Amino acid sequence: MTVDPQHPGESVAPSNSAGEVVDLPSATRATDIALDELELVYAFIYARVGNRSDAEDLTQQVALKAFPRLRQGAPASAIRGYLFATARSVLGAFWSTRLGLSTAELHEDLALAVPHLPPSQESAERARRILAELSDNYRRVLELRFLHGYSLKEVAAEMRSTVGAIKVMQLRALRAAAKVNPDA
Amino acid sequence: MRNTPENRIERIVNDLLHGRRLRLRAGDAEEKEAITAAAQFAAASQGPQRMSPAFRRRLAQILESTPKETWLTRRAALVAGVGLATGALAGGIVGRAIEPAGSMTLSANSTPLLPRNGRWTDVGALADFSEGQGKLVRAGGVRAFVFRQGEAVTAVSNICSHLPCELWWDHGPKVLQCPCHPVSFTPDGKPSNPSYLPSLNEVYARVSPEGRVEVLGT
Repeated sequence: MTVDPQHPGESVAPSNSAGEVVDLPSATRATDIALDELELVYAFIYARVGNRSDAEDLTQQVALKAFPRLRQGAPASAIRGYLFATARSVLGAFWSTRLGLSTAELHEDLALAVPHLPPSQESAERARRILAELSDNYRRVLELRFLHGYSLKEVAAEMRSTVGAIKVMQLRALRAAAKVNPDA
Repeated sequence: MRNTPENRIERIVNDLLHGRRLRLRAGDAEEKEAITAAAQFAAASQGPQRMSPAFRRRLAQILESTPKETWLTRRAALVAGVGLATGALAGGIVGRAIEPAGSMTLSANSTPLLPRNGRWTDVGALADFSEGQGKLVRAGGVRAFVFRQGEAVTAVSNICSHLPCELWWDHGPKVLQCPCHPVSFTPDGKPSNPSYLPSLNEVYARVSPEGRVEVLGT
């Protein structure tokens, strides 16, 4: 039982399931199991922050937060669930800190949802679905910029426009992409 | 380059496409959806990602250095009111001694500390607390640094969010220092490098109508 600080003596439900103790199958295999699971966590995080340095820092945070709370005896699925719950919590704190927003101000769709596909396929499949929902111009600018690695100048030449106009189009395309629900 | 939304997004996109960290600035929050979309497209463009061998080795070292036999949790140390100094991480006997008998539910780091059967403890008059200075108080088994802001107070745990060591208040830079490794925390519990460690646990504190500071302890 926990205590409501405003009403000591009254019980309240635990507020965060990510805080539960989860068990490990075997102490001797604990590090190997954790590393294999953290590989999935790394891919999950990388797909949401888009760069290696931040992905490594956040994966390390997940390990530091979760591993001391893992114990012997429970199924691997419980470990994975706990690690991903911790990863979502860490990602929420990351965006909150970087953007200067409270976690309450962050939307649930800020790439925190649990993946439906293996992380290795997830980001490419999500990108493909999102691009398919965009207008031709928006899809083209994002494909050239992100998938083909064109510079703004090269995109402008390809689309017979100006760099300034492409910059604005890139912003609008990303805003539109953020509104697409690829899981719908 | 003018500080327009399209220029800010272009700077972020350019960083991502060159494999650099997300460096966000004031005003970027207005475009949070576009920024997260850019991060996802950047990740998708780079294909499936695996940890580098060097990073995997570093993680293995971190995991191996975690005491698997003691299962000493930071929350257990907090609730038990154990003051652990340098080197106590390896203290398996201490760890076992304070391990709760049953299964213990732990909250995530940086969440408020809610002791079982917690009760408010008077830790002094508001006038005894100086503005902007941390003061270590004890509320039963909970020890915390209390900070005064005008007529209100806040408090954070005195236990580091990484190693279970007792923090100390550094009057000069006005931060909480950990004696066990080079890390410090601001009065609101945030680490000096937010990408490295979680925040300190918040401790509930309040000022009574009579002007007394109370902390939720055991």
